[in-house]
Amino acid sequence: MGIRRSGMKQRGGKNLEVRKSHKRGKTVRLVIVSIIVWVIAILYFSPIGYMFLTAFKTEYQAVTPSLIFTPTLETLKKVLSDRTMLGYVKNSLFQVVLGTGFSLVLGVPAAFALVFGKFKKKTTNDKTYFWFITTILLPPVAILVPLYILYQRLNLINSSFGLLLVYVGFHVPIVVWMLHSFLYDVPIEIMEAAEIDGCTRFQQLVKIAVPLARSGIMTAGLLVAVFIWNEFFLAFNLTGNTTATLPVYMARFREQQGMFVAQLSASSMIAVLPPIILGWFTQKSLVKGLTLGAVKG
Amino acid sequence: MLRVNDRKAVRTKWHDWAFMLPAIIVVAIMTQVLFVLTIGFSTLRWNLARPDLSIKFVGIDNYLFFFKSPEFYSIVWQTILLTVCSLAVCTVCGFLLAILFDHDIPGKNIARTLILSPFFMMSTASGVIWKTTILNTTFGWYGVISKALGFVPIDLLSYYPKTVIVFLFSWQWMPFFFLVILAGLQSIPLDLIDSMKLDGANWLQATFLVKLPIISNYIKVAVMLGLVFIVKEFGLILVTTAGGPGTRSYTLPYAVYMQVFNASNVGRASALAVMTVILVLIAVNLLYRSIKKRNAMYGY
Repeated sequence: MGIRRSGMKQRGGKNLEVRKSHKRGKTVRLVIVSIIVWVIAILYFSPIGYMFLTAFKTEYQAVTPSLIFTPTLETLKKVLSDRTMLGYVKNSLFQVVLGTGFSLVLGVPAAFALVFGKFKKKTTNDKTYFWFITTILLPPVAILVPLYILYQRLNLINSSFGLLLVYVGFHVPIVVWMLHSFLYDVPIEIMEAAEIDGCTRFQQLVKIAVPLARSGIMTAGLLVAVFIWNEFFLAFNLTGNTTATLPVYMARFREQQGMFVAQLSASSMIAVLPPIILGWFTQKSLVKGLTLGAVKG
Repeated sequence: MLRVNDRKAVRTKWHDWAFMLPAIIVVAIMTQVLFVLTIGFSTLRWNLARPDLSIKFVGIDNYLFFFKSPEFYSIVWQTILLTVCSLAVCTVCGFLLAILFDHDIPGKNIARTLILSPFFMMSTASGVIWKTTILNTTFGWYGVISKALGFVPIDLLSYYPKTVIVFLFSWQWMPFFFLVILAGLQSIPLDLIDSMKLDGANWLQATFLVKLPIISNYIKVAVMLGLVFIVKEFGLILVTTAGGPGTRSYTLPYAVYMQVFNASNVGRASALAVMTVILVLIAVNLLYRSIKKRNAMYGY
């Protein structure tokens, strides 16, 4: 403490000029840092940015890389009127909407019971939560083989419900994990007061916990939606032609070297814009959900 | 009176299980029961392409097959190499970028949003976009720019498949590391930073001796989650190198896929999958323990 105070005195004693140059040095540093950051940000985004630009080119314009051209909606129109592409979009939407919905319907009550539930053993809450977390660590490759064989036998390969089932199973733990930290912020006194007032557990969940953890539920839902929209491994291996999702469609472009660059870019744009926009809106709460759940867990 | 209370208590206990049970059942079936089946399959001789050979219990033969094959070791090594290098690049770049972002930069939110975008992009799309619009030697920016500079562009994907894959993995996952580490930096209390400045710490000391240890848990969390996600990455490899040239960019998930769909060998594919899971669990366990230890040390 004594040292620090003498340090303060010295700083106070510095003359004005030194302080001014110090301040100027700081501004110069900030300008340099800002320029570096912006250059990095623009370079980092450039592949996606160029993809967005190419989506507005004709196939002929897209052959040689260039940034200056007359934009046209021709390619986008062509892609959007393509029946097969729309089929993949429809399949993706089916998985995202139902997969996210079921994951939330199963995951939210589970997270609620993990935080506020009372069990015979006090360790049950922590242990079950830990179990949910460990299932996140399981790579999908661990279950691919039996699932593939099972689905083939049950003829689920050509049905969207087979894939939906895996998606729900794999994303419920993510909902539980993210919501756990959000629900932990809800004071337990509110629940106890509600219980004394005669609220059933179900009413506590629907009328108190869900509205209070609304932002957490939104975040978890959006994250799961992005994961399902982008999921490739299971979709690629467990679907047939009529049930495949967008990532599988995108993978089909892998063999066509430079043939349909504009079409590829336009389809990619449609495939990546929804999750990117959702991600932009949720970045703040996403960090909260991911780090709180993990750092404290 | 007491009995009524008791019954109520029993009822709430039952209710609380009812909230969790559906989730537990679905998750248990889709993850654990199926994984147990995988373990079971891994002890069988079972080839879908050879229905004439009956399914037979062979014990650990499938595992022994891989332990004897030199290719298996190179695939394991490649998986570890790709994952560790990507994680290292992501951590270092994410940390440096987060340090840069910890200033009052004009338009900070927009810059952060731009950097974040690749993280939300599906890996197959980013793979084909990089492959055709940038890395292609005739139609891509790489080819055009190196020709303009007087170089002969070589096909990076065939000559340096692992480097390119590490680069693309890092491009996709660095934003996530950056985001988590930035959250860590911003969680450092302001008075700590002030007293650090008063005590005359220079930039290097402040960054690496004070800030880095404080946020080390955030970094470990990012590494742990990054590990889980990068190990299972499959789409990017399939669309860029397809595991090639030869098997030089195979990873374990890719090898499992090839065993099922090309070799139709259920038993061997299952054995590979089991070994993948064991490797992941060992790595995660090590990281998790170091987080726990630190938490205990600092009394969080």
